[in-house]
Amino acid sequence: MLRVEAVSKRYGGGNWVLHEVDLTVEPGVVAAVVGGNGSGKTTLLRLMVGVTRPTRGSVTGRPEVVGYVPERFPPNERLSALAYLRHLGRIRGMSAEDADRRAEELLERLSLQGGFDSPLRTLSKGNSQKVALAQALIRPPGLLVLDEPWSGLDVDAHGVLAAIIAEVAADGGAVVFTDHRESVTRANASLVHRIADGRVAPAADLEREVMEVALTATGARETEDPEWSGLDGVLTAATHQGRLFVRVDREHSDALLTVALRHGWSVDSVTPEKAHPAKAGPDEATTERAAR
Amino acid sequence: MNALIRYSFATTVHNQRFLAPVVLFFACAGVASGNNSGPLPGVYALNAGALLLCAAWLTIAVISVEDPAHRAITVVAANSHARVLAASVAVTWLISLALTVLGLALPLALQPRPVGAGDLPVGLLAHLLCASMGIAIGLLCSRLVFTRPGYALLTAMVLVAASLLTTGSPPNTVFKRMATATDSLTVLPTVAVLLPVGLAVLAVAAVATHLVSVRRD
Repeated sequence: MLRVEAVSKRYGGGNWVLHEVDLTVEPGVVAAVVGGNGSGKTTLLRLMVGVTRPTRGSVTGRPEVVGYVPERFPPNERLSALAYLRHLGRIRGMSAEDADRRAEELLERLSLQGGFDSPLRTLSKGNSQKVALAQALIRPPGLLVLDEPWSGLDVDAHGVLAAIIAEVAADGGAVVFTDHRESVTRANASLVHRIADGRVAPAADLEREVMEVALTATGARETEDPEWSGLDGVLTAATHQGRLFVRVDREHSDALLTVALRHGWSVDSVTPEKAHPAKAGPDEATTERAAR
Repeated sequence: MNALIRYSFATTVHNQRFLAPVVLFFACAGVASGNNSGPLPGVYALNAGALLLCAAWLTIAVISVEDPAHRAITVVAANSHARVLAASVAVTWLISLALTVLGLALPLALQPRPVGAGDLPVGLLAHLLCASMGIAIGLLCSRLVFTRPGYALLTAMVLVAASLLTTGSPPNTVFKRMATATDSLTVLPTVAVLLPVGLAVLAVAAVATHLVSVRRD
């Protein structure tokens, strides 16, 4: 279990970026770190993965395999995506063959566009972000730390990333990520740490009330896809036996129904789901897989 | 560690920033070896001096290949700051050793001249001494220590000039003995004692660079 204990951090003689931060991340937990620009989120994440050392306090219990996706992954690199991932896999102690196999699997799953063999620097922002994700996952991580991982990713990759996060947690790994959008943190995290002025507020369990909405296309009118996973409060959207099941936060379910009706869908049922925040991750993983 | 060195080598080769110092060394060694009909130890002293300058530049180039975010990923993957730095130093050494071979072979290939019994060993040790001093300077002037490249360049130039020209510095001492000795075998003990000094300077510079870069991160 990762423990951040009484950690303070400042760079050189500058201002304190973090003050007396206490935080634990248990295995299997998906924790979000939320805060404004310059609140110390990135520094906290860098401390967790060990890139940065605390000025005071300690970070202990870091698992052996840590995956880290920094905020920016600048693709000023002439190695190809596959060659880069092979090197990183080998640095992590994998054989070249294993690293290749895993890299191709991940890049296909994230649907990297622009060629596995083209230099990283030629990739677009979203695509290099996918390579950054792949390197963090090349060995199943015990701790996965993602700094604004959704930025630049397309909508399809959003769903894949959500599923990957849930899978890492289901396998007993801890996941910590930052994002500034409430809808994203609510959909993916089971714990939210709020950080402001370098101080972390105690974690709040997401007491989430979830509704499952079953929809069918009527056929009488033309139905449109309003990009369900992009709507506020939507956790998952999956098609099962011709019906679309959308899991949505209670507070956003009415708005979702309005959108569904406006786009020509018919509502079959609206069922409240029991709140079980700690298990939200693995459940998402199964619905995602079922959707494939 | 092997994987890290291979990765560092691959990024260095793809980036091609190492080419400028390597070409500079070719030019210096070519001029010193081809246009100089003097005794071999004197030529080796010039080549070794050129290697010091080029090794410093090379080290800066190898370390700045990876930008900070990239390096952070490598550090997490390797689970160590020190090993990532060690890999960069290893790559610089590999290229410097190739340049050493060139520095020793070029004078023999370009001009027929008599070779004394001690010439090659003394030349080799002088090259290694200069490579370690150059890498030490390169580390201290790399992006890991200096955030502003202008100051880094100025400091590097001052340090390189000082270590080549200051009376009493290990390279300077060896150069003077090599230029004046009639039999290079007499220089061998001096350079054999000074090479460990050069390696110690490199070790101290590496530790200092590591400590500064970890504090800075």
